[in-house]
Amino acid sequence: MQEAKMIKITDLEKFYRTEEVETIALNKLSIEVKKGEFVAIMGPSGCGKSTLLNILGMLDDPDDGSYMFNGVEVAHYTERKRADLRKHNIGFVFQSFNLIDELTVFENVELPLIYTGVPSAERVKRVEEVLDKMQIMHRRNHYPQQLSGGQQQRVAIARAVVNKPKLILADEPTGNLDSSNGNDVMELLTDLNEQGTTIIMVTHSEHDARYSHRIIRLLDGQTVMENIMI
Amino acid sequence: MIKNYIIIAFRNIRRNMSYAFLNVFGLTLGIASCLVIFLIVRNELTYDNFNKANRTYRVTLNAIDFNSNVSMAIAPAMRTDFPELEQVSQVYYRQNPLVKVNNNRFIEKQCVFADEHFTEIFNYQWLAGDPKTALNEPNNIVLTESLAKKYFGDKNPVGQMIFLENTFNSKVTGVIKNVPGNTSLPFQFLVSFETIKSRMKDNMSNFWAIGGGFFTFILIPQHYSIHRIESRIPAFLHKNWEKDVGKDVHLPLQPLKDIHFDQRYINNVITPTSKDTYYALLGVALLIIITACINFINLATAQAIKRAKEVGVRKVLGAQRSQLIKQFLGETTVLVLMALILGVGIAALFLSEAGNWLNIKIDAGQLAEPIVIGWIACLTILVILIAGLYPAFVQSAFQPVDSLKNKTGHFARGFTLRKGLVVAQFAISQILIVGTLVVAHQMDFFQNQDLGFNKEAIISMGIPDMSKLEVLRQDFANNPGVKGISFSSGAPSYNNNFTSFSAPAFGVTKDDVTEVKFIDENYIDMFGLKMLAGEKVTKKDVKDTSQTFVANETLIHKIGFMNPHDAVGKRIRLNGRSATIIGVVQDFQSESKHKKRRACALEYNAGVFFMASVKIQPAGMVRTIDHINKSWSSLFPNDLFKYEFLDEHIASFYTQEQKVYTAFKLFSFIAILIGCLGLYGLISFTASQRTKEIGIRKVLGAPIMSIIGLFSKEFILLISIAFFIAAPIGYYAMHNWLQNYAYHINIGAGIFIIAIAASVSIAAITISYQAIKAALINPVNSLRSE
Repeated sequence: MQEAKMIKITDLEKFYRTEEVETIALNKLSIEVKKGEFVAIMGPSGCGKSTLLNILGMLDDPDDGSYMFNGVEVAHYTERKRADLRKHNIGFVFQSFNLIDELTVFENVELPLIYTGVPSAERVKRVEEVLDKMQIMHRRNHYPQQLSGGQQQRVAIARAVVNKPKLILADEPTGNLDSSNGNDVMELLTDLNEQGTTIIMVTHSEHDARYSHRIIRLLDGQTVMENIMI
Repeated sequence: MIKNYIIIAFRNIRRNMSYAFLNVFGLTLGIASCLVIFLIVRNELTYDNFNKANRTYRVTLNAIDFNSNVSMAIAPAMRTDFPELEQVSQVYYRQNPLVKVNNNRFIEKQCVFADEHFTEIFNYQWLAGDPKTALNEPNNIVLTESLAKKYFGDKNPVGQMIFLENTFNSKVTGVIKNVPGNTSLPFQFLVSFETIKSRMKDNMSNFWAIGGGFFTFILIPQHYSIHRIESRIPAFLHKNWEKDVGKDVHLPLQPLKDIHFDQRYINNVITPTSKDTYYALLGVALLIIITACINFINLATAQAIKRAKEVGVRKVLGAQRSQLIKQFLGETTVLVLMALILGVGIAALFLSEAGNWLNIKIDAGQLAEPIVIGWIACLTILVILIAGLYPAFVQSAFQPVDSLKNKTGHFARGFTLRKGLVVAQFAISQILIVGTLVVAHQMDFFQNQDLGFNKEAIISMGIPDMSKLEVLRQDFANNPGVKGISFSSGAPSYNNNFTSFSAPAFGVTKDDVTEVKFIDENYIDMFGLKMLAGEKVTKKDVKDTSQTFVANETLIHKIGFMNPHDAVGKRIRLNGRSATIIGVVQDFQSESKHKKRRACALEYNAGVFFMASVKIQPAGMVRTIDHINKSWSSLFPNDLFKYEFLDEHIASFYTQEQKVYTAFKLFSFIAILIGCLGLYGLISFTASQRTKEIGIRKVLGAPIMSIIGLFSKEFILLISIAFFIAAPIGYYAMHNWLQNYAYHINIGAGIFIIAIAASVSIAAITISYQAIKAALINPVNSLRSE
């Protein structure tokens, strides 16, 4: 039996237009990601990594091409449908953490559960579980500004996984961290992947990329190379 | 979810304390002002709110002019000729009655001599006595609660005796609650009409004898059309009017609820107001609340950049746009509710004070009335929607991809809207400044300009016994503080008496109406009336029956003389007798400026000198008045000395306008203050946004003045745009308002120059602190903060 594909994009195109210039961000890009894979996307600045990640995360529309998510074409979904699909299936980890400053650690992690309508008692249980797992339970009532970068990224990862997503999209998750904290984060992502979560990670770091199963290298919106990690 | 919204709302308020403060403070003032205005307007629009008010009419007279007084003969005739009427009541309304209780004398403001039908029409709240019988007998008196307390303390007032007008020994037969402040018939006590009926017989004999203060009210049956009565009035007049009824005589039936607003009946005692004025005040309330909402929108959209990341994160985590709109509206609701609580609190604290300024009865208790609570709820929802919807839509529209990358370029659109809103705020404040200035000028014009007589330092008082005139004159004259004395039937703005005139010799055969004042030989000089031709009024012996008088310009114009000198020596018919014009005086303002000046005849007649007017030296005024009081009181020991300054009397014609003026001043100030709060918030936000730009400019050598200019230039442009919107609106609105008055100012360019100058100064003061602060900041610091 063929291994189940989670993501299949075909001839994906994305342009950015200003009044005078049209920039091609993705140029007929085709990629496949299987369930349970850990894929790293690399490439120089401006090669289309983040654009790709945004489209994969359904935060942005492609201009042309096909995007099959779990066998369903989602390239031209409405914003509402995308939001619905996203909140049940995808978790995000950002370079700059993107925690909400006005909410505590606990409340930040709780937020995705609120938007998916999980009842209050269940939410408390699940948030505590994941905070425990990320070893930041003792910081649950702190605000993001009161935490170190490494701790903030743990909170962000906790928030990304609390809904038990099938896919985690990580945009340079260690970019703002020192190497020790960076390694911790990579270990966490590896653990999650081993438990069955598919991970797609954009990174500049060859070191981090080595944690993945496969590296896709982009240049000018096209795949230039795929390395299978052993 | 809701808990989360509330939590984040409070945390946002805490983190942005200064903006929250500006918003809440502005909204608080706005809401408090709206509540006060609402209660003021409600007070005016619910005048004469009696149970049967919708079926109650006042019978009035329209013969050449509208008159609310009718003959005492009308009521009994109506009772006979219109048997279907549920009630017909007549009253005699008296100002300044003299009351003696246990050797204490008082002059009260007003009392009503009312027949027994009166209490069937007007449902006063009775605390003691039987409304059906309390006014049946002569010399019965019904006190209001506060007066009963004033006269008798805690003693039971019923059965007590009161000596009224040095004539009537009356017995208290009832006590009613104080009459509400918003009634066209305010009084402190009622006296049975029977008390004066026998003395008024002469006035009751015919329809054309019109006594001042006689009102007739009718109550029509339920579901009965007033037109059925009105259509029979001409026949009724024809039957009962003994003389030939002219075509110009009518008996308009004036609905009770219209009395307060029917300006056709304006005179020196009754000052109806215009409903438009109160709608205008509601308009001001709306402008105030719009100004506060604009602050809210401006500060919220300006801050939206700060919230963009949060919106992006929430969307990434699965928030729907509708959920974010609810969240932002929730935050607005929290702020508005805070403002509401504070606003209601402030309104409660200042309501009675505002009532005092405006001379109306309003108090905090009214805030708990269901209709007011309903209104507060509507206001709250309105404010939440106006202030919250637009920012909620703008903020929730951020695309997560853009907002997480701080790509918020499309904010340019928001800023244009903000500029538009600032223009709107400036325009509102300029309209209010123009409005306030026009009202102020008109008030000054009413009371001080173009009166045609001198009103400074003149006091007037009644004379109870005319046989003592000469003694009084001697007594007053002995006081060095007294500059002049004049006796008359009334000072230039008092007590209008009217009579008919015609001039058959000059083609005026039909009777017309002229005011007539009976004056002594000092009157014209003391009041500074300007003679245009002929002689002044001179003293005449009682035996001298020749009728001579001084006419005013309007009177001679009516007879057909344009040149005053031509009129001197001419004979006309005055009050049915031949009379000679001996002089012509320039027109003077004997009534309020609501009305056109009328014809006036000045005649000597010592028999009707009810009033003494005394011009006093400004220095030692209190001592002089005290001396006058002593002289007067020793001559009239049974009466109580009461005087009034002429200028205060004139001001009393304009109490309604004074109310409006006070309200305009107060609420315009508040609207402008709220606008300043918003402007301050916006400029401080702009300054913080442009810190880096200012730093770079300074590094490149920009002087401080040019940085300050950077901020000021834009606002001066906005103020100018606002002016082009505000000037025509302000002109149009105030021009229309001025048309209420027969005599009014012209709106000159000066008012608009002052308005724009005030607008620029207010903006300059508001923005200068932030602009100077931004300009003085060390560029090293501002660039490092980036």
